[in-house]
Amino acid sequence: MQLESATYGDDIDQNAHPHMKARGPFSIGADDLSAGLKAWRLWTMLGWNDILQRYRRSVLGPFWITLSMALYVMLLGVVYSRIFKMEIALYLPYIAVGLITWGFISGTTIESCSAFVDSSGIIKQIRLPFTVYVFRVLWRSLIIFLHTIVLIIPIGIIFGLKFSWADILIFPGLILLFANQMWVGIVVAVLSARYRDVVQLIATAIQIAMFATPIMWPASSLGTAQIIAQVNPLYHLIEIVRSPLLGEAPPLLSWLVVIGLCAVGYLIAILLLSRGNRRIVYWL
Amino acid sequence: MAHINLRDASVEIPVYAVGNNSLKTMLLRKAVGGRFGRSGSNVIITALSGIDLDIHDGERIGLVGHNGSGKTSLLRVLAGVYPPTKGEVNVVGRVSPMFDISLGMSVDATGIENIKICGALWGLSKQEIEAGIDDIVDFTELGDYLNIPVRTYSAGMLLRLSFAIATLRQPEILLLDEVIGVGDAEFMKKAEGRLEKIASRANILVVSSHSDDIIRRLCTKAIWLNQGVVGAFGEVESVLSAYHAG
Repeated sequence: MQLESATYGDDIDQNAHPHMKARGPFSIGADDLSAGLKAWRLWTMLGWNDILQRYRRSVLGPFWITLSMALYVMLLGVVYSRIFKMEIALYLPYIAVGLITWGFISGTTIESCSAFVDSSGIIKQIRLPFTVYVFRVLWRSLIIFLHTIVLIIPIGIIFGLKFSWADILIFPGLILLFANQMWVGIVVAVLSARYRDVVQLIATAIQIAMFATPIMWPASSLGTAQIIAQVNPLYHLIEIVRSPLLGEAPPLLSWLVVIGLCAVGYLIAILLLSRGNRRIVYWL
Repeated sequence: MAHINLRDASVEIPVYAVGNNSLKTMLLRKAVGGRFGRSGSNVIITALSGIDLDIHDGERIGLVGHNGSGKTSLLRVLAGVYPPTKGEVNVVGRVSPMFDISLGMSVDATGIENIKICGALWGLSKQEIEAGIDDIVDFTELGDYLNIPVRTYSAGMLLRLSFAIATLRQPEILLLDEVIGVGDAEFMKKAEGRLEKIASRANILVVSSHSDDIIRRLCTKAIWLNQGVVGAFGEVESVLSAYHAG
């Protein structure tokens, strides 16, 4: 069976049309994923426009994100450093990086739930790879993340964080985090298009997970119960970004856990995308 | 060469009633051994059933039928957004599905920004959009308005803009769900001219309409859809009379 739709732009591979041929349980989803990646010009544009849309008439624009995160981190940093009896120069950078990274994880996960539902008007008119709508959400969240992670510079200056070579590990860390959120986004987008309760379920889970993960408290405060942090994949996901920014190389285990998560996650995401491809539009 | 071929194509749309779209229903069904929630849970609408259709290069097809007869579903199948749940669909050629021409408009963005965003959604490359901006400025006569947010536009101005963007690309297959009809008389004339120019250059046109006049004027053949099946397909006059008789 062949269906050659021409609504893809020049930079979208027309041969990757998901209806074209059924080669195996993964091929349709893999085609959608690669066609979606190739359409980067479209989703970066849509994602950026979403940000503009949100802040268009405000004076500070997207820097509201920076400002509100700065206030949030300052307040929590001061209060919780007292509660945990930690030195503020150690605690504030820790909680800042943790909260900012967590914001990216929770934001991408929750907003991806409505990726297809919010774009149902487009989906019912123009044939685009489904991953385009997920990547639009991710791009939007990445812009927000970049507007908040810059806070590490003034924080570093105030609290005397020194540059170390471990800082460079932030780049593979960020790439891995982004890659991980891509599969998470695809999975929750497909599932919540079909089952509308998934959004609520995930919002609840994310809220609880924030307190069960070492973000506001250091993993060391668990004492002998380190296992609580180590079995939590979210801990490792944060650690690959947080450690380098605080001047330490992340533990090898954290890298391995995230790479493993991605391997399993992409299998699930591509399988769901393959199975859902011909049905998603009918669920909207 | 554009070509459309449908073999026994059907579209069955599951309708999930409130609560049916939820995890609870699925889990409960599992928990109580497959009985709960099944009775009457999966209402299925058969939007199209066993459609066989061959549309060749150069043909202009009018779609007629009552509301809910499957005209929009058929157009969505041709646009590639509704995969057939049974049968085969083969569409060869660049398709422009003009169902909702204001697709992707952001009210707070300026006219120019919307040209870029919507143009990209319509599948235009950056170069095509840049090259088309002058054409849009000419056609819409919006002038300086293009530099301010479209939320300040009147309905007519907004229509001019979205129409100009949607018609920027010359498709091989043009799909129209009801011919666009708002705006002042002068603009209507201009829009009709532009649409007819694009339609005449397209290799295949499929247009659904409730107006016999439009079908007679634009089309060489017609399809009468009746409750998801083809009631008649052929010469415009004979299909129209079958439709009005049936």
